[in-house]
Parts: sequence; C-alpha cells; structure tokens
Amino acid sequence: MYRYDEFDDTLVRERAKQFRGQVERRLKGELKEEHFKPLRLQNGVYLQLHAYMLRVAIPYGQLSARQMRVLAEIADTYDKGYGHFTTRQNIQYNWIRLADMPDVLDKLADVEMHAIQTSGNCIRNVTSDHLAGANLDEIEDPRPWCEIIRQWSTFHPEFSSLPRKFKIAVTAGETDRAAVRVHDIGLHMKRNAEGRIGFEFIVGGGLGRTPYIGLTVREWIAKEDLLDYLEANMRVYNRHGRRDNKYKARIKILVNELGLEEYKREVEEEFAAQNSWEKVVLPQAEVDRISAYFAAPAFAKLSAASEAFEAFKAASREQARWAKNNLRPHRVPGYISVHVALKPQGVAPGDATSDQMRALADIGERYALDDIRVAHEQDIVFPHVKLDDVPAIYAALKAADLHASNAGMGSDIIACPGLDYCNLANARSISVANEIQAVFADPEFEDEVGTLHVNVSGCINACGHHHVGHIGVLGVDKKGEEFYQVLFGGRADEKATIATIQGPGLRHEEVAPAIRRVVDRYLALRRDRSEKFIDTMGRVGQAPFKEALYAAA
Amino acid sequence: MSSERPKLGPDIPKVVTAWISASGRVVYLTKDRNWSEDLGDAEVLTGAGAAEILAWAAADQTRVSDPYFMQVTEDGQIAGRETIRESIRAKGPTNHPMFGKQAGNN
Repeated sequence: MYRYDEFDDTLVRERAKQFRGQVERRLKGELKEEHFKPLRLQNGVYLQLHAYMLRVAIPYGQLSARQMRVLAEIADTYDKGYGHFTTRQNIQYNWIRLADMPDVLDKLADVEMHAIQTSGNCIRNVTSDHLAGANLDEIEDPRPWCEIIRQWSTFHPEFSSLPRKFKIAVTAGETDRAAVRVHDIGLHMKRNAEGRIGFEFIVGGGLGRTPYIGLTVREWIAKEDLLDYLEANMRVYNRHGRRDNKYKARIKILVNELGLEEYKREVEEEFAAQNSWEKVVLPQAEVDRISAYFAAPAFAKLSAASEAFEAFKAASREQARWAKNNLRPHRVPGYISVHVALKPQGVAPGDATSDQMRALADIGERYALDDIRVAHEQDIVFPHVKLDDVPAIYAALKAADLHASNAGMGSDIIACPGLDYCNLANARSISVANEIQAVFADPEFEDEVGTLHVNVSGCINACGHHHVGHIGVLGVDKKGEEFYQVLFGGRADEKATIATIQGPGLRHEEVAPAIRRVVDRYLALRRDRSEKFIDTMGRVGQAPFKEALYAAA
Repeated sequence: MSSERPKLGPDIPKVVTAWISASGRVVYLTKDRNWSEDLGDAEVLTGAGAAEILAWAAADQTRVSDPYFMQVTEDGQIAGRETIRESIRAKGPTNHPMFGKQAGNN
C-alpha cells in the first residue's frame, strides 16, 4: 500500500498541529462556534445528536494491521470501544470529546492517517473497488489512480471551496463494485479501440434528495489527460454550480440543468483552453513510483485446489455456508478473497468493537499480506488469502464473532446511523435494519432467497444508499412519528438504477413483515433458484411486489 | 431532513438545550443560568421573554454550542413533534442501551 513520503507526513502533522491551536482557541472562547464550525468540519469533526463525531479517512478503503490497531486504540481510549465503518469506506467515532480531538489526530498521523477532506465542500476521500488488485475481471489495479487523484486533490486551492461536497470513485472491473455511477465523478477503467487502458468518464451521479445516475461525458480519456480533464470538469462545476441553494448545488443538478451536450461542450472548451503551463503533466516516473506501492504482492505458487479448504467446507454446514457466501474468487490460483460481513443479527450495520478491530488486524497481518479493505457495503475484506489458511481465518473470525455468513445476502444491510446518532436524521435506521435482518435469521431461508441488497436511510440525504438497494427503505418524519417509505429496483453496479418509491410510508413495526411478504412474493414468482430477486423484479415488473408490500397494511 | 429545529410559539412550554463545547455532551439551561445534563433541572420557559433567554444562551458560546428551544410539557417532559429525537438525544442511542445517559454512563 501507499506509504507517506516526507511531504505527506509533514502535511498531515502540520494540519493536526494547526487544528490543536484552533481547538484551544475555541475552548478558551477566542473562536465562536460559527467561526470554528468550518474549521472543525475541514478536519472531519461534526457535532451530532449526543456528542462530537469524528470521521477518519481511509483512502480507497485500504488499511494495514498497524493502522487498524490504532483505530482500535482510539476507540478504547477516546470513544466507547467501537467504531462505525461507513458507506464511503471511512470510519466514524461517535463519542470523542472535542478537547481530545487533537490527540486523536496526532495518533492518526503516527500511522499515516488523518481526517482531512472527510467533510466540507471539497473533493472528498476517493473510493474504489474493495477487491482491487485481487479480482478476476479487473483490467488494471485502480488504486494508483485513486492515490494520484488523492494527491492532486488534497488541499487543491482552486477546489477547496466548491459549491458542495464532491465525491470521486474509481473502478477497473467489469463488475462495478465501487458504485461509480452514483458519484459526482465516476471513473471506470476501460480499453479503447486500440487496446489502451484509460477511463470512461462519468459525471453527475449521486443520491440524496435528487438521485441521478451519472452520464458518460467521455467514453474514454487517456491516463495522461486524466487530471487535466478532471480539472476541466471541476472548473465548469466551480463556475456554474449553484451556491445559493445547497439542495441544488451538487454537480448532478448542474449536469441535468445544462443538459449533457451543453455540459460536455463547456468541459471540452475548458479542456482545450488549458494553457501548456496549466497542464498537469504527470511524469511517467511519478506514475511508476506511486504504482510501485500497489505492485502485486509476492504470491506463492500454489495449486488451485486446497485439501485443507475442501475439508473445512465438508466439516460442517455452517462452514460450507460461510465459504459459499463470503469468499470471492481471486486471480491467482490457490488464493481467495474473504468478505467479513459486519452484519451479525442485531448489531448496527458497519459497527465493530475495538476487540474485533484488533482481531481483524491480527488476521490481516498473519494471513492476508497485511492488506485490509473496507467495502462500501460497510464490510471488511481481506483481498489476498491462501485457500489453505481459510480454516484458521474462519476460526479467528468466529472467536471474534465476525463470522456472519451473509455477505451480499438479505441481512447484509447497508444502513446509516439514523436518528440514533445523526443530527440530520428523521427516523431511526439501525433498529429497522435489525428487524429486517431478523426476517433472514434462518440461514436456510436466507440462502433460499439468495443475493438481495437491502439499504436503509434515516433521511433523504441517503447515506444508507436507499436509492440503489434492490429494496430501499427511507425513514421520514410524519408529524413527529417515524414512517418508512419502501423503494424497489435500485442497483449500484454497472447496471446502476435508481429505485422507485412504492407509495405511502409504513410504521416502524410494519416494515419487516412487509419486506417478508415481498421476499415471499419473489420466491413465488422466480423462474428458478438461479433467477435473483432483482432479475425477477426486472422480468415481471414491480406491481406484484408492491401488492405484496401493502397486502396487510 | 434538517439540523434546524421547528419554531415554537411563545405559548408553547420549552427549555433551552445545547451541547457542551468541550465534550459535546447534551445539556439543558437551568434557572440559575447554568447548564445541566439532567433535563429535570431545566427551566421551563413560556412567554415572549423566552427569546431573550435563548439569546443569552447563544452568547454563552465558550461553554456551549448551538442552543435551541426544545418543546416540553408544563412539567418539563419532552413533548411535540420532535419527541423521538429529543428522547434519544436525552438518553442515548436506542441500539446501544449500554451507552449514553440511559446507562448512567456519564
């Protein structure tokens, strides 16, 4: 993984020192909250329902064991012993005192981490495919380009005060595991007609109160032009993006108001007008230097089959189920990727205790080439694991209660913190998610249903990605009562689709039974077990599912 | 979806609530112009004079952040359309009964 050079290290430490001074001035009364707020937000510090919340950046979701242990230490020393992994591949702490924040930032800096650009109207932490460097269908590892964009965008003076926050995601697989079509800019690495690898350039995706699927502005842009083309897009946005209304300030609104052709024309004009001295001529040596950090590890030459792994699967139904649901194929024979679902029954999706973080760090260090990833599904992934080590990893996960065998299934729910923590939320999302999880508590039933993405948000900001769930649930406030609208048909992959709201909201206690009826309707309608929920819905339409949703309401 | 709270008319009983600046803990304004973590200590306000007290709280910027009116009953119980939010805020997250004031975890 990328290691800080002296510039990165100095930059992060000086930023922490600067924030220490700002906090001291705030606590002495020399800075009012209205003046301090933008400063704390630039360092990932929010004031939430119960306390301050700190959002720590995990660039493109990659962590080392050493970093994970420090995250655990912060949870123990400054929080209440747990953290929350987010849909942006970051981690949040819910209870840190403002007075302790500078010490926390120093601890993060010690392991090349920070909270810069996790908030505010800037280019946020770049996200990517959690299986980058490991998966079968990838044409190139996207992480060097994430890192290049991170370096280009960090403290970029021209883009530090954008009309609104700005999210960039990069993927390089045929299957899009990074949801690039619902980001402000999505980059999908592809070959052009000559076979050269570059980027499909997608702009204007996003969720929130006005969801859009991103539009392709360029079918292909060369690597050497990437930063300049990014800059051209950012300049058009910075120039025309609305600053008078935060709800209309995202680039998705601009792209849709201008129309794709006019937006493209403006971007191409800006791109062509860049003077030679403005161009970011990225030296190949620098690309090579950064890429070297992401070079494939020294994989052992192994047989594609493993007796130990076969014996592990044969030993119990529980283990066989976990192997079937939580392992993903690896491009190197004898290796596999392990998906650790942070979604056991009854736990807030994405939460991990400090003990669990340490267990993950130990596994990562001992069995997974010190490479730990956070997936946007709020799960943890070990991308590089020997099949022979799967039994030991499973045992270690089980000892830490991290062996939920539901990756990608109905109970592997994405959910925001909702009204239990968030100052913006209208309704609780964790408790609803837990009740929906209980629908799938019987492993045989959950397996019978198969792949199903349920996403829950506690307000229209859509941090729980309800617009792109096969089943989405949106909490709303109705005269002081929590109600939940249900959406159908969303997906975040390369066939990204915005889900459709079905009708009136349901009461809290009505949601899980309604989801059960919808799932039962799927089982009745599907052609056979190979037809997934989302495909059956695509074939027969949403009407029969809607009828099931409201059948007992 | 908003961090802005509903406007409360002068006749509606209310208390002033905020967050302690150093810790982020939820507090309520008492009659003697101190801040208490116990809602039971809060002064219940009615009438036009409440606005002045909120203005005083807003000026107490070193100790607290973002004070606002929270609706209560005449005897100081959380009331109104934000009852769920303010109850969670007063006690702690419903999914973690071991955390927050509900667990005596101060």
